[in-house]
Amino acid sequence: MSRFALEGVHILDFAWVGVGPVTTKYFADNGADVIRIESAARPDVLRIAPPWKDAMPGINRSQFFASFNTSKKGITLDLGKPKGRELAKRMVPWADIVVESFTPKAMRNWGLDYENLRAIRPDLIMLSTCMQGQTGPNALYPGFGQLMAALSGFYYISGYGPGSCTPPYGAYTDFIAPRFSTCALLAALDYRRRTGQGQYIDMSQYEAAMQNLAPALIDYFASGRVLGPRGNASERYAPHGAYRCADEDGNERWIAIAVAGDEQWRAMLTALGAQSSDRRFATAQARIENAGSIDEFVGSLTRARTAQELTAKLQAAGVAAYPVENCVDIHQDDNLEAFGFWHWLEHKEMGPSPYEGLEHRMSRTPGTPRWAAPILGQDNDEVFREMLSLSAGEIEQLKKENVIF
Amino acid sequence: MPSELLKGFRLLDLTDEKGALCGKMFADLGAEVIKVEPPEGCSTRRIPPYLEDIADADHCLYSIAYHAGKKSVTANLATEDGRAIVAALAAKSDFLVESYPLGDLDSIGLGYDALAKKNPRLIYASITPFGDTGPGKDYAWADIISWAAGGQMYLMGDEGKPPLQMSLPQAGLHAGGEAAVALMLAHYPRQIDGLGQRIVVNMQACIVWTLMNEQAMPFLHGSYLSRTGVFVGSADARRKMVYRCKDGQISTLIAGGMTFGSSTKALIEWMGENGFGSEWMRTKDWISWVPGLFMDMTEEDHKQVDDLEDAIQRFMLTMTKQDIYAQGLKRRIFLAPVATVADIAADEQLKARDFWTAVPHDTLGRTLTFPGPFAKMTATPIGSATRAPRIGEHSDEIYRGLLGFAPERLNKLRAAGSI
Repeated sequence: MSRFALEGVHILDFAWVGVGPVTTKYFADNGADVIRIESAARPDVLRIAPPWKDAMPGINRSQFFASFNTSKKGITLDLGKPKGRELAKRMVPWADIVVESFTPKAMRNWGLDYENLRAIRPDLIMLSTCMQGQTGPNALYPGFGQLMAALSGFYYISGYGPGSCTPPYGAYTDFIAPRFSTCALLAALDYRRRTGQGQYIDMSQYEAAMQNLAPALIDYFASGRVLGPRGNASERYAPHGAYRCADEDGNERWIAIAVAGDEQWRAMLTALGAQSSDRRFATAQARIENAGSIDEFVGSLTRARTAQELTAKLQAAGVAAYPVENCVDIHQDDNLEAFGFWHWLEHKEMGPSPYEGLEHRMSRTPGTPRWAAPILGQDNDEVFREMLSLSAGEIEQLKKENVIF
Repeated sequence: MPSELLKGFRLLDLTDEKGALCGKMFADLGAEVIKVEPPEGCSTRRIPPYLEDIADADHCLYSIAYHAGKKSVTANLATEDGRAIVAALAAKSDFLVESYPLGDLDSIGLGYDALAKKNPRLIYASITPFGDTGPGKDYAWADIISWAAGGQMYLMGDEGKPPLQMSLPQAGLHAGGEAAVALMLAHYPRQIDGLGQRIVVNMQACIVWTLMNEQAMPFLHGSYLSRTGVFVGSADARRKMVYRCKDGQISTLIAGGMTFGSSTKALIEWMGENGFGSEWMRTKDWISWVPGLFMDMTEEDHKQVDDLEDAIQRFMLTMTKQDIYAQGLKRRIFLAPVATVADIAADEQLKARDFWTAVPHDTLGRTLTFPGPFAKMTATPIGSATRAPRIGEHSDEIYRGLLGFAPERLNKLRAAGSI
C-alpha cells in the first residue's frame, strides 16, 4: 500500500499565482511529484506578495507563495530562451500531467501548447486554467482573483442592501476553481488508465466560479429576478446574523446565530435567560418579516457577554451559534486544533510559520503539507542532474547563459 | 449524454445542503449519482427562494441547480427495510457522500465500518461542520456558522456595522467541492489496490482556506485585518477596490510594480484623454512606485493615493459598467464590473464559449438555462443536461434494475412506508 494517495503521479507545473498552484498543491500534498518551473520571463507575482517573514519583502519570504506551493519541487528556467524551452520539453515524457495558468497566448508563443507537448507524450493530460478560458473575445483578459470575484457576481451579492458593496476578503474565486480543476484532472487520469487516452482541459475560472452561483443564474434566466445584497437577512432563519458581544482586550467581538422554527427560538430565549411576549416575534414567519427588530432584540441580549460563553450556552441548547473569528482566533480554535488543521513547517529562508492543512482527512492515505514551498531554484541541481542527466559542467554553462538562474 | 469520463462509477448521495454540490460534480463528470432521500424529500427540496415564488419541491432553485443530473430514490431510514436498502445500494456503489449529524449513520448500521465490511472498495466521505473529534463535533449548524467560524465573516462588511454573509450562502458549496476532491483523490489508489477508505471533510477548514494570505498576518506582520468595506490592504496602506459608476459599481485597483504599474498607467492615460486626473499622475513612474499593499506609505503616498482615487471615482461616474469594462479590456487595465446575474447572462464571452446550457424541465413545462460545464475537456466533454429528479423518481428503476426487487416486494415496501 502506498503511503500517499497519488504516489507515482508526475506533474510538470508551469502555473503561477492562485488557481494553478492551488490545484497542483492538492496533488503534491497527496504524494504526487510536482515540479514547478519558474520562469525568469514571468516570475510568480505571489513571491513578492505579503505577508513576509518579519514583514520584510523578499523573493523567498512570502507566506502567500509558501502556502500555495507546499510539497513541490522548484526549478528555474528562462522560457523566453530557446534552450530553456528545450529543457522544459525534455521533461515532458516524465509528466503524466502538465498544468499552466498564463494568459492563453504565452504557452503558444513558447511552443509549449498542448499540440506541441502531446507530440512528445501522446497520452499527456494538460490543464490550462486562466481567467476567462482559452477561446472567445475576452480570452486575453488581464485579471486576478479579486476582479474575477467581481466579474462572476460575488461582489454584487455582498453588502448591506442596494448600493452597498462590501466584498469578501481576498481572491474569492481562487478557492472555488481549484476544486473543479482537481476533480477534472483526477477523473482524466482515471480515464487514461481505462482507455490509454490523454486530453486537454480548458478551464475558465469565470465558468468554474459560477457553479457557486447557479441557483441565482437559473432564476434570472427564468424569471428576470436579480439577486442583490441584503445584509444577513434570510428567508429561512430569524434571528440570523452577527451580534455584538462584550469587547475583549479592547477588540470588538461578535457571535453568529441562526434560529429556525419555534422550538429553536424558545431554546435560544431560555439559553440567554430572556423572555419575549412581543407579537412581532410570535411565529417563525413573523420573526423573518421583522428581522430588523429581532436583530436589535438579540443584540441587546448578547452585548454584555463574551462570544465564547454565549456559544457554549446556545450550542448546549441546540442553537446554531459560533464566535465570528478573526485571524488570531482561527489559530487558537479548539475545533481546528482537534482536527490537526495547522502545520508549522520549516522553510529554508523563513524558518517556521503556520500552514493550512487539507480541509479533509483520509483514513488510509492521508495527505498533508509534506514540506514548505521551495525557495527559488531550490531543486535545480537534483532535477537537472538526475532527471535530465546534465553534467555539472553543462548546468554551470546554462547558469552562465541565464537559462537556469 | 452523460460524460464518458467517470462512466460506470456510482456515487450514493446522502447529503443535505452541506454537500449537494459533490454529487452534482460527479454527475457532471459522468458518474451515476443516486440521491437517497426520505419519502417526504430531503431538506434541500425546501430551501427558498423558489422559481416564481411557488413554494414546492419542483420550484426549489437550490434543488433545481444542485440535484441536476442525479437520480432520486426514497428510503425511510427509520425502518429496518429502508436501512437494508441503503446498505444494499452501498454494496454496489463506488463512492458514498453523507452529511448527517456525526454518528447518526453509524448508529443505524450505515456507517463506514459496517458498509466497508461488505464493500471494501467503498470510499465514504462524511461532511462535518467542525470535524469529528473536537468540542464542536456535534454543534448545531447553519451556513452562516461556517462563514463565521472560518474567519471570512469577520473580514466582510463596513467598519462599525455587523460582519456579513453573502446573499447566497457559500459554505455548503465549498464543502461539497472539497468532498468531491477527496473522493477523487482516494479513487486513485483504490483503482490500484482495490481498497476504499473513510474521509472526513471539515467545513470550518474549507472557509479558513478562502482567507488566502491573511491567516498568517498575525504571526508575520503582528497585525490582522478587520472589516474593510470597499478597501483592500491594511489599515495603514489601504486601496479602494470598488468605485461607483453610472449604473452600478466597478472594481479596479491602483498599484505600482511590473504587473500592476502598467495597468495603473493605462487607466491614468485613459482618464487624461477625457480631462480627468492631473499632470503629476500622468508623469509619475508607476512601474517603479514601490508601496505594496501592506508596506508603509509616506504622507505623500497617502495624499497621492487619495487624490487619484478621487479622480478615478469622478471619472467612473461618467460611464456605465459595460463601457468601462470594454475600455478596460481594450486598454489592458485591471478592472471588472461588479456584475449582477443580469450582466453575466448578457456577457459576450460566455456566449462565445457556448457556456449556457438549456435543460428541459418537463416537470415545469419549460426549459431552464443553466451555467454550463466547469471545464472544457477534449476527449470526454462534461456537464449534465438532465433536470433534477423528482423525489423518488428512480426508485422503481434502481430497486428493480440494480437491486433486483420484484414488483410485489416494492409494493410491500411502499405500503409499509419504507420507500
